Amino acid sequence: MYMQKSEIMAISKFIKGVTAIALAGASMALVACGGGNSTVKVGVLVADASGDEAIGFKNYLQQYVAKEYNYEFVYSPQLDSAEQARAQAETFIGQNCKAIIDMADKNRGDLAQLCNTNKVYFAIGSGMMSDEDYNASKNLEYFVGQIGPDMVTEYNTGLAMGQYYKETKKVSKVGVYGAFIPNPMHLYRMAGLLTGLGDTYKGQSGQNIVYTVFGDGAQFDASNIAGDVTIDYCSGFDGEGAIFGRVGEIIAGNPDAFLSVGMTTTFFADMLDKANLEYSDIDSFTTANGAHMKTGSLKYLAGKYSSSLGPIFAAIKSAIDGKAIRLANGDAFSLSQGYWTAKSSAEFEKFQSADSVTNPIFNKTVLDTLIGASYDSFKAAVELDRTPQ
Amino acid sequence: MPNSITRNKGDLILEITNMTKTFGPVTALNNVDLKLYRGDVLGLIGENGSGKSTISSIAAGMQKADSGEMKYLGENWAPKSMIDALDKGIGMIVQESGTIAGISVAENIFLGNLNQFSKYGFINKKELHARANEVLRNIGIDNIDSSMIMGALDFQSRKLVEIAKVIMKEPEILIVDETTTALSQKGREILYKVVKRYREENRAVIFISHDLDEIMEVCDTLTVLRDGNIIRTFKKEEFDPDQIRLSMIGRELEGDYYRSDYDPTHGEKVTIELKNATVKGHMYGINLEAHEGEILGIGGLSHCGMHTLGKALFGAVKLDDGEALVNGEKIKNEIFATKKKIGYVSKDRDNESLVLSASVKDNIAIAGLDIFSIGNFLVLYSKENEYVKKQIDSLLIKCSDSSQVVQTLSGGNKQKVVFGKWIGCGSEILVLDCPTRGVDIGVKQAMYQLLYRLKKEGKTIIIISEELPELMGMSDRLIIMKDGKINKEFLRSKDLSDAEIIGYMI
Amino acid sequence: MEQVMENKKPKFDKYKAKKLVITLLPLLALILLFVFYIIILNVNDYNIMMNLRSLLNQSLILVLVATGAIFIFTLGQFDISLGANALFSAVIGTLVYKATGSIALLFIICILVAVGCSLLNALIASVFHLPMFVTTIAMLSVLTALATFLIQSQGSASGTSYSINLPSELVDKLAPLDTPIFKIILLGIFILAMVFIFNFTKVGRKQKFLGGNEKCAKLTGISISLFGIIAFALAGLGVGLGSSMTVVYAHTVSTTTASSIGMSVFIAIVFGGMPINGGARSRIYSALIGGFSYNIMTNILFILFQSMEGARDGLVQVISGVFFLAIVFVASINYRSKNLPR
Repeated sequence: MYMQKSEIMAISKFIKGVTAIALAGASMALVACGGGNSTVKVGVLVADASGDEAIGFKNYLQQYVAKEYNYEFVYSPQLDSAEQARAQAETFIGQNCKAIIDMADKNRGDLAQLCNTNKVYFAIGSGMMSDEDYNASKNLEYFVGQIGPDMVTEYNTGLAMGQYYKETKKVSKVGVYGAFIPNPMHLYRMAGLLTGLGDTYKGQSGQNIVYTVFGDGAQFDASNIAGDVTIDYCSGFDGEGAIFGRVGEIIAGNPDAFLSVGMTTTFFADMLDKANLEYSDIDSFTTANGAHMKTGSLKYLAGKYSSSLGPIFAAIKSAIDGKAIRLANGDAFSLSQGYWTAKSSAEFEKFQSADSVTNPIFNKTVLDTLIGASYDSFKAAVELDRTPQ
Repeated sequence: MPNSITRNKGDLILEITNMTKTFGPVTALNNVDLKLYRGDVLGLIGENGSGKSTISSIAAGMQKADSGEMKYLGENWAPKSMIDALDKGIGMIVQESGTIAGISVAENIFLGNLNQFSKYGFINKKELHARANEVLRNIGIDNIDSSMIMGALDFQSRKLVEIAKVIMKEPEILIVDETTTALSQKGREILYKVVKRYREENRAVIFISHDLDEIMEVCDTLTVLRDGNIIRTFKKEEFDPDQIRLSMIGRELEGDYYRSDYDPTHGEKVTIELKNATVKGHMYGINLEAHEGEILGIGGLSHCGMHTLGKALFGAVKLDDGEALVNGEKIKNEIFATKKKIGYVSKDRDNESLVLSASVKDNIAIAGLDIFSIGNFLVLYSKENEYVKKQIDSLLIKCSDSSQVVQTLSGGNKQKVVFGKWIGCGSEILVLDCPTRGVDIGVKQAMYQLLYRLKKEGKTIIIISEELPELMGMSDRLIIMKDGKINKEFLRSKDLSDAEIIGYMI
Repeated sequence: MEQVMENKKPKFDKYKAKKLVITLLPLLALILLFVFYIIILNVNDYNIMMNLRSLLNQSLILVLVATGAIFIFTLGQFDISLGANALFSAVIGTLVYKATGSIALLFIICILVAVGCSLLNALIASVFHLPMFVTTIAMLSVLTALATFLIQSQGSASGTSYSINLPSELVDKLAPLDTPIFKIILLGIFILAMVFIFNFTKVGRKQKFLGGNEKCAKLTGISISLFGIIAFALAGLGVGLGSSMTVVYAHTVSTTTASSIGMSVFIAIVFGGMPINGGARSRIYSALIGGFSYNIMTNILFILFQSMEGARDGLVQVISGVFFLAIVFVASINYRSKNLPR
């Protein structure tokens, strides 16, 4: 397009003006940005930072650990996919994070490789990789390790719940919520729950139930459940009326209890409280759950406590300080950490107050014993049953 | 407006002083003064861009002037919007569409005032439709039901609804902006009746039109504008078409307006034809042929089926019976028609012939892509620019450059762009539906000369028009339709009389 | 015809200048954002190359998909199934790659599947005379369900999800493609090809015309269904390339792969100055400019608000939203402030 000189001058004036504004903004950024030089930066990858459990973990890290050890924990925004998680990890690396804690579970094996290539420590808190990924990653120098409920722990948690309701509560008919089955974590819990209740799936019990479902192309069909305890089953969440209608039907069938392998306190607590139907869940020790236990009909909760992230932090700090905690053969560790189970409101409150932001279970005193410890001491400390008495 | 207003004939009702309005580098009004008196029907006439629509749209609250004063009923006049202006007594019927297609006629009429039919949040539709029907009947519209969806009505009917909507408010001043071009004879009569009533009731009317005959018939005073200036005001007794045209253009119209010859001969070859063509509800058993080098005129009242006939010739409407043929081949659809070098200019220019948000270049070039592209695929910018420039130059399209968005052009220039689209790509057959609607006299003349030249080059021109003088002035053969059928055919002749032709229309 | 008005060449047409500025505004914004981003990275002593690499990875797939999708948006249509299409084609591509180890097949299959699914949208709409948007809603459900079934049955479970992971030897094979240089070259070639089709061929011209006024386009001999089909086919090409690069980058495909693409595409092209209704003012490079601009802007905001803990994510979203509205507003300003009445 032919342009007059005056037009060119007007446009360049415009550009100069906007550039001036940009530079002013940049100098504001100068003031705004920049922390202490000695602060160690750790990136945290999360799939959702808004849930109660995630907020609990975040508060522990940012409001306790960060202050005690002069660390900075930078959280990612919500990560929906593996590619987003990888891009975020790259961003953290570019922002001079010394380590990355992954709680997003988006292709962990791949992220471990990425961090290793870029000499940034990588650890998994409150979760596990697949066995395949672990075996491929365990000898990476910068893979610190993983702590969380492994699938056996998940299975055992479901098993304990099933056994409790069968033997102590003597149920004969229950409603069951399968959360997001065939999500493996929920599937393992369900296998434990069915086994604990004395029921079978396609004639199988124990962890064989999981393998059977895998073998069926990860399709779980409740009509394959058989046993003394009658089970009225539903799973999934559509955000619309359908699932609520289904749960309503289950409640109307007058079961002895409503047992859940996860997410019930998030979606159906109000419905169940109103129906005064006893229910259980696997979740975490949040204020909301405490209220449901106190005034509602939540009677059994297996949950994670916020400072359970303490040990993985200790492991990261050990690595950064040059005293990495490794297995005897130099591999990264994989340790299981279980749930606390509260069966009454009093027990719940005891657990909740035992692990607060100001005085967590894994406080500085305890953490200091873990940092730079030997693997055996570290393992013992992680696996120690710290259920408040 | 309250009926307690005193209306004395000859009282000054609207005064505009020193009004100026610019649109970027274009001065639309240049220190213009205007006075309007009660009982007066003031005609405003001028070429496109003369300022006539600008000054009246400012008075009607559509836009604001850059400077100047307005007084209405002796008080300062600065309406916030057209709705505000209409509520206070100045209403305008616009040239293009002023209604909303997706809602009913009744909802359009009472747009912004539906609350009067509302009870507990629900609209009483029965009452709404009844009142709306009353409004329509009051001005003589009896073939539109107010429950119909606006979009289903044809252009003329939509225009009539718009008129009813404005008249319902009984404004003191009615501004009619080139509305009659959209209307059939009956529609025009409805409007003329309203104008007459306004004169008798000592209200006032500003009447804007291109039709010199009409404006001389309807108006009491006539003001001519040119390039944003008032050139001259004619009193009724001073009305002289040549003098008015001279004031409008600033020069004498040289040469013939239409054609000077009365020779109806043309080539022998039949280029396009309809054989027993029927579109239910519109046209029945039409048999029609057009030849190379022929201008075939098709006239009739608005609903006689001629507009549908035009679409049928272009393959744009499905025939229930019969066929349309071009050079002996059946016309399947528009794609086929354009491949066979048929061009079509729709009456509804803005909605069917132009992409308003696109540039002059895009609109002209689109039909000729095959001409300036390589391998039927790659568009060559230089050749395209050349192609477009040729049309802009030969048709004298007034635009800042070919990248100017068509929406900002005047009506006549828009029409030129449409012509340029079809002529540039070498159309052999042109189906033109109301081709000079909303176009200046000077441009009209140029278009007529162009069409005659195309005829001489052997092209087939079919003109569908509601303007009888145009059809009589240009056609080699004139076909009159009535109620969907061909009623009569006339050969070009000096002795043809419009009274005789009208007899076959109605 | 005689000349009626003399030609006047204005000394300064501020409307032309205004029009030019509005057209160039998205590019100027991108440049300014980029400069600002580099400044912030420098001030914080961050690794610039790593951040730029991350930016490229954040933006590449989005820009590939969005650029192809511009052909659909130009028609004034909307395709809500882009993300589901990317997911499904990525699943099929990954399975084929796992089975054959052929990178060429990975790309070919991803592209063929994506184009096929996209064409299906257009064909169903054309045959059954449905609005194209409606068929894309149905496609979204169908493709998501199919992809989920395949991932759960063919993939492996891990922690909280199922995914189809590439074994390490196949990951290593992809390494040369997972580099900035390859990605830039791929992006460059694709963008150039799309620019060429959009601006220099009859296809692009007719698309824009059709988007501007469907009725007029029909009456100019342009086939609505044919050009709708072409638009979806070209969009499918973008989706196919995007999904293959997703596999190259992420080395895995799960039910959440490409989950945010649908909305992100729309945001990106609007950020790049594309008019929402398509038509004559559509710009093929909107996706490129908008995709990168949006990601640079959010990266900047995340750095600036890093210390604000809980409020950070919300603030970033609010500010992004405000920018989005501002851009839509500016892009819709006419070159002339008022129209001339006819």
